[in-house]
Amino acid sequence: MSKSLTSTALSATALSLALSTALSLAAAPASAADHQEKCYGVAMKGKNDCAAGPGTTCAGTSKTDHQGSAWKYVPKGSCEKTASPTSPTGFGQLAAFKEKKT
Amino acid sequence: MSDQRLFAAALLDPDAPCPAGLIAWNGSDPARRFAVYRNNVVVSLIDALADTFPVTLELVGEEFFRAMAGVFVRIAPPGSVLLVEYGAGFPDFIERFEPARSVPYLADVARLERLRVRAFHAADADPISPERIARALANPERLPTLRVTCHPSLSVLRSDYAVASLWAAHQGHGDLAQVDPFVPESALVVRVGLDVQVIALPSGGDALAAGLADGLPLGQAAALALAASEDFDLTAQLAMLLRVGALTALAQPTET
Amino acid sequence: MTMQFSHGSSARGAPVRRTHPDGLPDRAGLGLKPQHFAEILATGPDLGFFEIHAENYLVAGGPFHHYLRRIRDRYPLSIHGVGLSIGAEGPLDATHLDRLAALLDRYEPQSFSEHLAWSTHGGAFFNDLLPLPYNLATLNRVCDHVGQVQERLRRRILLENPATYVEFAASTLDEAAFITEVVRRTGCGLLLDVNNAYVSGVNHHRDPQAYIAALPLSEVGEIHLAGFAEDRDAAGAPLLIDTHGAPIAAAVWELYAFALERLGPTPTLIERDNDIPPLPVLVAEARCAERWIGSARPDRLEVSA
Repeated sequence: MSKSLTSTALSATALSLALSTALSLAAAPASAADHQEKCYGVAMKGKNDCAAGPGTTCAGTSKTDHQGSAWKYVPKGSCEKTASPTSPTGFGQLAAFKEKKT
Repeated sequence: MSDQRLFAAALLDPDAPCPAGLIAWNGSDPARRFAVYRNNVVVSLIDALADTFPVTLELVGEEFFRAMAGVFVRIAPPGSVLLVEYGAGFPDFIERFEPARSVPYLADVARLERLRVRAFHAADADPISPERIARALANPERLPTLRVTCHPSLSVLRSDYAVASLWAAHQGHGDLAQVDPFVPESALVVRVGLDVQVIALPSGGDALAAGLADGLPLGQAAALALAASEDFDLTAQLAMLLRVGALTALAQPTET
Repeated sequence: MTMQFSHGSSARGAPVRRTHPDGLPDRAGLGLKPQHFAEILATGPDLGFFEIHAENYLVAGGPFHHYLRRIRDRYPLSIHGVGLSIGAEGPLDATHLDRLAALLDRYEPQSFSEHLAWSTHGGAFFNDLLPLPYNLATLNRVCDHVGQVQERLRRRILLENPATYVEFAASTLDEAAFITEVVRRTGCGLLLDVNNAYVSGVNHHRDPQAYIAALPLSEVGEIHLAGFAEDRDAAGAPLLIDTHGAPIAAAVWELYAFALERLGPTPTLIERDNDIPPLPVLVAEARCAERWIGSARPDRLEVSA
């Protein structure tokens, strides 16, 4: 092991302890797993099981795209429901933007 | 100029005239018929982005999202016939997109969604066996230089915003009204079996996972993590990485 | 140009279709959709085959390959390309051809098909099947490309007749004659999309039965059936859009029966790519197609003739 590596790396003893404990923890049933870890999948929505992103088809569409030349949209979705929908740094001026649009 | 070049240009430019040389049996204006192609192209590509970025869509609403995606589609149509790769540049576009500035975390949520699709289709790899780890533990003095291979689906997203919590609240995990978007979070994205997981990482956890993914020796990645946070729990984070199958191989570099 | 056909006779002769022992079974199949993966494996619906869009499976790993491997182990498979852009003015994408070849090696499908259309230009992919003028320049180009595809994939491909919304002043051949010549020159087979024949027939005011009768029916390897949406052109005439987003229309079932009378039993795909209903709804449509296939068997034809 080189000197420069020793100075920036964790000791072999500390690593050995951490890895061996981790190995036994990982083998334990999930209920006994570290509960401070927040792990999210999409299991809440069954139909999203195979949420795979876009796929090709060989079909056309009957939906219509209404392309306007002037931009007239404002974000109007769940962003308005968060605990602090506006930014403390002044980005999130939804109301101001709405006023400007007309 | 070739016929297809003109046709292609007119597909993406709503102000371009209908290409010359198109006809209809009844002599009707072919522009109306050509509009079907224009619409198929733009709508199907917007749909593709909506499929990849469903939470991004929910955050700003369908009308805003589809209009924003329409601008992107016309500027940056897919460069590959593999639509699963489409939208890699969409988060960067969102970040520069003036009308979305009021939702500054939107681009990072989009980055997280893009990483999820990438993880979903990434190559398969088996997790390291406990026996292999036990063998590594038999030579503790060599652990600091051990190099770890991460699962091909693994990526780490570091954000100034609460990306993992924002994303999770849209899956029914937690209440969106309780999420402060302006709290920095890091997220680990990894496929576990057939499901892509998003795991909120504690301070230092991002350094460990990203360090290992970048090929740093175990000792160096762990030291970076501990330097990032005094409270960093190396054992818990290694256990988490092992439990989700995020680590797939161990190798000792040949001595130099 | 407008196209003139003499109306084909409805007299039944012996079925003309050449069958291939290694091909798809003469049954109905469904397009394979991710939302149905698990249910297909759990319930094993009695279907003749599944069909995938090749481009959706050109990924490294994960659930798509996990499920496709298991479904392929239980069912015959058709791989249907949507991105080769055989009608493109530019050269074929050699990288894409290589990827397709690898996918075919991996899953050994009973059939591979592509479209008489273009979808890429100048490095951009438009995700739509765009129309071609039917003239000598296009014919030479399409035949070159089909030949290259068959050489690289080391197999005969099926070429699908398109659904189109415009025609070209530069066309000098009608579509059936164009396709007939491509099949003759390249030895490729034909994927007869009956919905496309109907949609294009309405859109261009031509008789879909005469169109089908004018195609090289002996070389048909598969039929596609799908649903369409209805729009109007600038003069108010019906303009049908091939959406694959609705049940198969009665008029398309009738045209299918007309085609089967001439072809004999033929592998038939129910295509549904938008507004995808629960699996049993699609299986029921496949059953309906199988009843028509059953009534097209030569022994049945003799009885009813």
